[in-house]
Amino acid sequence: MRSNILFGRVALAVYLVIFFGYLLGPLLVMGLTAFNSAPFPSITPWQCYTYEWFGALFQDERILNGIKHSFIVGIGTVILSVSIGLAASLVLTQVWPRWRSTYYTIIIAPILIPGVVLGISTLVFWRRVSEVFGENAAFLNNGLFLTIIGQSTFIASYCMLVFVARLQRFDTGLTEAALDLGATHTQAFRKIMLPFMRPAIASAAVLAFLASFENYNTTTFTFGAYPTLTIELSQMVRYGINPSISALAVIIVALTVFAALAAEVYRRRSKIKSGDIKPGKGLPAWMFGNVATILLVALSFVVIAMVYSAQAYSPAQCKIDYKAERQIENQTRIEALQKARREARQNAAPLESITSEPPSQGAGAFGSVFAPTNLEDAAGTGSEESGTPEAPASPFGSVFAPNNLEDAVGAGKN
Amino acid sequence: MRKPKMFSEFFKNNGLLMGGILMFLVSFWIIVLILLPQLSMLDFSFRYNLPPALQGTEADSYTLDNYRYLVFGPEGASDAFNKVDLMVFVRTILAAMAVTVLNLILCYPLAYFLGQSKGGGFIRLLVIMLVIPYWINEILRAFALRIIFGDGGVLNGVMMSLGLIDQPYDFINADIALYAGLGYAYILLMLFPMYNVIESLDRNQIEAARDMGASWVRIHRRIVIPHAKPGIASGMTMVFMLSAGALAAPQVLGGTSSLWFTQLVYQWFNDTLNWQQGAAYAIVLLVASIAIVLGFMKIFKVNMGDIGK
Repeated sequence: MRSNILFGRVALAVYLVIFFGYLLGPLLVMGLTAFNSAPFPSITPWQCYTYEWFGALFQDERILNGIKHSFIVGIGTVILSVSIGLAASLVLTQVWPRWRSTYYTIIIAPILIPGVVLGISTLVFWRRVSEVFGENAAFLNNGLFLTIIGQSTFIASYCMLVFVARLQRFDTGLTEAALDLGATHTQAFRKIMLPFMRPAIASAAVLAFLASFENYNTTTFTFGAYPTLTIELSQMVRYGINPSISALAVIIVALTVFAALAAEVYRRRSKIKSGDIKPGKGLPAWMFGNVATILLVALSFVVIAMVYSAQAYSPAQCKIDYKAERQIENQTRIEALQKARREARQNAAPLESITSEPPSQGAGAFGSVFAPTNLEDAAGTGSEESGTPEAPASPFGSVFAPNNLEDAVGAGKN
Repeated sequence: MRKPKMFSEFFKNNGLLMGGILMFLVSFWIIVLILLPQLSMLDFSFRYNLPPALQGTEADSYTLDNYRYLVFGPEGASDAFNKVDLMVFVRTILAAMAVTVLNLILCYPLAYFLGQSKGGGFIRLLVIMLVIPYWINEILRAFALRIIFGDGGVLNGVMMSLGLIDQPYDFINADIALYAGLGYAYILLMLFPMYNVIESLDRNQIEAARDMGASWVRIHRRIVIPHAKPGIASGMTMVFMLSAGALAAPQVLGGTSSLWFTQLVYQWFNDTLNWQQGAAYAIVLLVASIAIVLGFMKIFKVNMGDIGK
């Protein structure tokens, strides 16, 4: 029985590690690439620790413009979809029971419609509308307008779900009491419904902004002349990139972690205030033994330290060293190739005259360098194959270390 | 007769101003943002791709050509069917289903663990860690996987230095990167609905079943899964629809030889500039995926009202 429980715990731990490794591992790797000076985002050949990609990021005109457009679209989407979502959820509580499921199906559908379809339908529909109205309604074809409209179509559904969850706990007696006491409907809404819904409005707004900020499928059809950040990123990813995109990811992750920890601290604090939990002892009052607070403080220290060191630190020397190292490496490789070619020539000499050697012979010499044994040595199998007739090849094994192969691949990409 | 009564009641309950605002916002959303664009796209998909000069003339009539193209290919083609596009379509649907099932298997244990745990700091921390990747841009998430799966990527580097392989393995063209990326992109939409429902399951039920000698498998089959059915259905619906309609992950992680159906739509719109054809493809995708979801909901007896809870 006990061993059963132990086995269960180990299995759970392994599973959790795998799950969170899958979830967070890629982000961690991407974060590391932001600090590697290699021109293509990668961590394995690690070159030099650098901050240059953050600098490159803030000088990239297109990214900055994209962020600006994303903010405009985000704010517009938040306003439109939060108000629509709130209205839709209020109507849902009052709609005639027989219509209810039809109504719910219609307003939940935008979540399920593929984003591509939403983008296309928005584009097609509003182009027709603008054709009807002609010149004086040019804003209908504007990329920002179309993107806000297209995104709000489905983001309003998300907001609606947030509001519905909150409304389930609303006591309609409150509104009725206010109306009985002579408040108008507008007053009752403003004084009772809105304060009650405020937390839900805040979380719906955050949700809507994030959903808008990261939307790609819909926006890619509607953006027109106003590419958002996501559109710019997708173009950078598809047509050649440098690690400044990873630097952006690092910033976003850091902001996210900050926000999540701050929310956690706030939640904890309001619970302590309301007396649900007692503050811990032995720590300063502002920390009250909360893991989230400690992490938050630690993270702030790390960020501050990094920003400071970024001003003093320069990877220039490391880069020079790395270049020199690579030069030496290349030199040895060239020498090795030349040696191999000489040997091949000597072998070939009895067969053909050296002066009329065709170029294909040279290629053959290369072929022997890239013999399978070299690759195996490079892969580090550790098998003692130096006893094979191609003994001279084994010294080259170290030259063709895994890094070199990757460099070659990386060069091919650039 | 009843309809006017309902409306008057609605305005009586909300007042003229508030009721009017609510009505306006909701009808604007449903009619102008949801219904009309879809109908407009449907109408568009039945039309010829004409130069502006010919639009509105007699040539601008309805046609089934755009749909015929998807099934039979261009006129005079050597094949009887448009094999390439149909294959892409079938592959997209099947792969989206596979991704959905894999996500379900991967998420169920965690949803159960989180839902049945008694809360506490560790669980809060896990939830925060879950939410963080979801706030990162979809493109960036796909790109992170590309760094890992690429030719000169981390996985190849590690495997080569361990001596497992001696040539970089092409994860991108083998579509492994694509499936991993699709699963990665929408995994939380599978997890959270399940987590929410399992959280509402009374722990005593499980205890009781265990006391009466039910095996571990039986507890899940008879108690947890029936209770979690709405959440599972909700998660699977969302993951399936979103993966079938995904565009970012296939563009960043897809191989050169294999396409996702949304990429065909994208090409019709942005490369070929044949919007009518693209609209027809989009309609096919929409109808097919909705039909599949409704079909499965019927088989497993789930209501539409359960979605999104």
